[in-house]
Amino acid sequence: MKKLRNLKALLLVIVAAVALEVTALVQFYFSQQGLREEAKLRAESELNATSFEIMDIIDQAEAAVRNSVWIAQWCLDFPDSLERVCERIVSDNPVVAGSTVALVPGYRADRPLFSPYVCREPDGSLKALSLATAEYDYPSQEWFVRPLVQGEGYWSEPYVDEGGGEMLMTTFSFPIRDAKGTQAAVLTADISLEWLKELMGRIKVYPNAYCTVSSREGHMLISPSATQDPKSLVFDTTVERTGWTISLVIPESDIFGVLRRVGTIVGILQLLGLLMIILMLQSFVRGERRFRELDKQRERIAGELQIATGIQMSMVPKTFPPFPERHDLDMAATIVPAKEVGGDLYDFFIRDEKLFFCVGDVSGKGVPAALVMAVTRTTFRNLSAQEDSPGRIVQAMNDNLSSMNESNMFVTFFCGVLDLANGHLRYCNAGHNPPYTLTNVIKPLPVEPNLPLGIMGGYEFKEQEMPFRYDDAIFLYTDGLTEAENAAHEQFGEVRMEKNLHGRKSAQAHLDVIKKDVQAFVGDAPQSDDLTILFIHYVPCSHRLVLKNSVDQISLLPAFVQEAVKASKLNSELEGSLNLALEEAVTNVVLYAYPEGTEGDVIVDAAVTDKALTFTITDTGKPFDPTARPDVDINAGVEDRPIGGLGIHLVRQIMDDVRYERRGNKNVLIITKKY
Amino acid sequence: MEVKFVRESGEVTAYLIGRLDTPASLEIAPQMNALEEDAGGTIILDCTDLAYISSSGLRIFITLRKAAAAKGGKVIVRNISNEIRSVFMMTGFLNLFEIQ
Repeated sequence: MKKLRNLKALLLVIVAAVALEVTALVQFYFSQQGLREEAKLRAESELNATSFEIMDIIDQAEAAVRNSVWIAQWCLDFPDSLERVCERIVSDNPVVAGSTVALVPGYRADRPLFSPYVCREPDGSLKALSLATAEYDYPSQEWFVRPLVQGEGYWSEPYVDEGGGEMLMTTFSFPIRDAKGTQAAVLTADISLEWLKELMGRIKVYPNAYCTVSSREGHMLISPSATQDPKSLVFDTTVERTGWTISLVIPESDIFGVLRRVGTIVGILQLLGLLMIILMLQSFVRGERRFRELDKQRERIAGELQIATGIQMSMVPKTFPPFPERHDLDMAATIVPAKEVGGDLYDFFIRDEKLFFCVGDVSGKGVPAALVMAVTRTTFRNLSAQEDSPGRIVQAMNDNLSSMNESNMFVTFFCGVLDLANGHLRYCNAGHNPPYTLTNVIKPLPVEPNLPLGIMGGYEFKEQEMPFRYDDAIFLYTDGLTEAENAAHEQFGEVRMEKNLHGRKSAQAHLDVIKKDVQAFVGDAPQSDDLTILFIHYVPCSHRLVLKNSVDQISLLPAFVQEAVKASKLNSELEGSLNLALEEAVTNVVLYAYPEGTEGDVIVDAAVTDKALTFTITDTGKPFDPTARPDVDINAGVEDRPIGGLGIHLVRQIMDDVRYERRGNKNVLIITKKY
Repeated sequence: MEVKFVRESGEVTAYLIGRLDTPASLEIAPQMNALEEDAGGTIILDCTDLAYISSSGLRIFITLRKAAAAKGGKVIVRNISNEIRSVFMMTGFLNLFEIQ
């Protein structure tokens, strides 16, 4: 598997390299073609221009000769004047260096060999000579023979003039016929080719380009002075009439030099790039391997954490209502860890008619906090199994946790013990957020500034107390609630939390409303801390009456009401109207809550506190809210008066507070008469 | 709960004795509903010995009152205790019945 992956990576690099190389080569090829084309164009245009310049001089020389042909013809009869003809040609044409008229041997008997010659001296003066010497033997010279043979003008092969300063010369010679048409003489003009050297030297299309000129016969007239570059492009053109070939030689290094330099740089860059790709691939392959290993590890940890979550959640009571057989307690709780496991806890249980409850928050988060949470919860359970005083429970927990606290973690903790028989609440707060009490007002419970658990062994915790009355509630929470942050890093805060505590609802309803509100506030922002809520609603009953859903059971109410009124501070005169209110409430349930023919209980609780007498009527029949019904119009006339609806109207009239709640599968109607 | 009927010169007087709670109302309902036949005349509901009344009892009262209104008769409620008067007040019955 690993090898295969490496092989794949290698293949990838090779393909990338080949692709890069091919692209570069194609690009190089086309660039070279372009440059070659350009060089060709430049060379051709340069050669054309040069060729024109040469032709110009050639034309001048030819013209000088041709224009003098008629006068030479005319002078054939006066051979001595032929020198004058030559002289004129030379003096009138600066390009002409020398000129002769050579008579065909035997044309004139008086002049078997005759060839007067005029040439220009270096100082510009003219000098007359005769070529009719035995050593020179002009009739055998090329310039003399060829025009006569061809019968037209002829440019001689260039030659080095030995007589006059070693100059490269060429001669144009033209046959002269007399009046009868007999070939009589040859008229010539010599031109120096020194200018040709200079002209060729001017051609500099490329820095190291040079020109060569070769004659019709292939003799090199002008050759480069510098050594030749073996790799060169050669462009030729032939000059008309003289038959010279001009070659423009351009070294390839001149044409392709820049391209090759750029090509080299690009090549090096490509190599570097490939090297980087290889290195990256290598580190990627290595990284992927490590990533896979980490992934496996993470999966394992996630699996373990899931189990841990299960264990931790099984430590806190999670069945609600927790005490279905009791009617004096309505409780709800939730714990939402920010991570898989958290450091928050709540717990409660009833022993000897006392409700032991607590909420705690371990410093830190995650697994370490979860372990401390587990220890804290176990310690709470162990100590509160025998001890009734929350102060002593907390103190013992602190000593216990401090003695084994090597990781310096601490726990903010609230512990309460509610005596269900008389509503006496004792509590001890160890640095935790004060819970809110819901009595006739909503406010934080006053707490002593005790240290959190685990900081200092031997610390003395102060216990406090408050009386709990009928319908009072306590709301405990961890700072994960008030410090829940939204995306803008605003905190949920106490004010928002407190707003949700108004109005008495069932404990679960309170919890749901707050959870919903927090969720709406936080939105998509990640949960930063564990969030825990414990809500306890105290609804003690001093008297209970359990009725069947049968009308004759209503006769049991007067005695029950009498007893309740006697226990309360109400005037006994109110007994009748209270009985009426209760009868109306119970009748409603007895007649309508359960389907006909089925049996069901109607539980009537009478709770007496120092402020009010409250009846709570509970049934497990179909959901029905009698308070939702519109009140009857008591001012309506006889015909308009409905027969029903008076019952709940009377209840409202007699009692001070009428409240309906749906708790689980129960209908709960709470009617209160204040003193 | 007990009811006694006394008829004389076109008037029927029903003497209600005891507590007219829900079970009692159901118990005496047939007898009381029979009074609707006399609704064309005068029906007197004597409450001198009526200790208590619930909405079920009030139902019987209003049923008779509606029948009387339909037949042109009248229903007189006689001698109610303060307690029952307050129930009548709460339910607006003081305006529906002639109280003596």
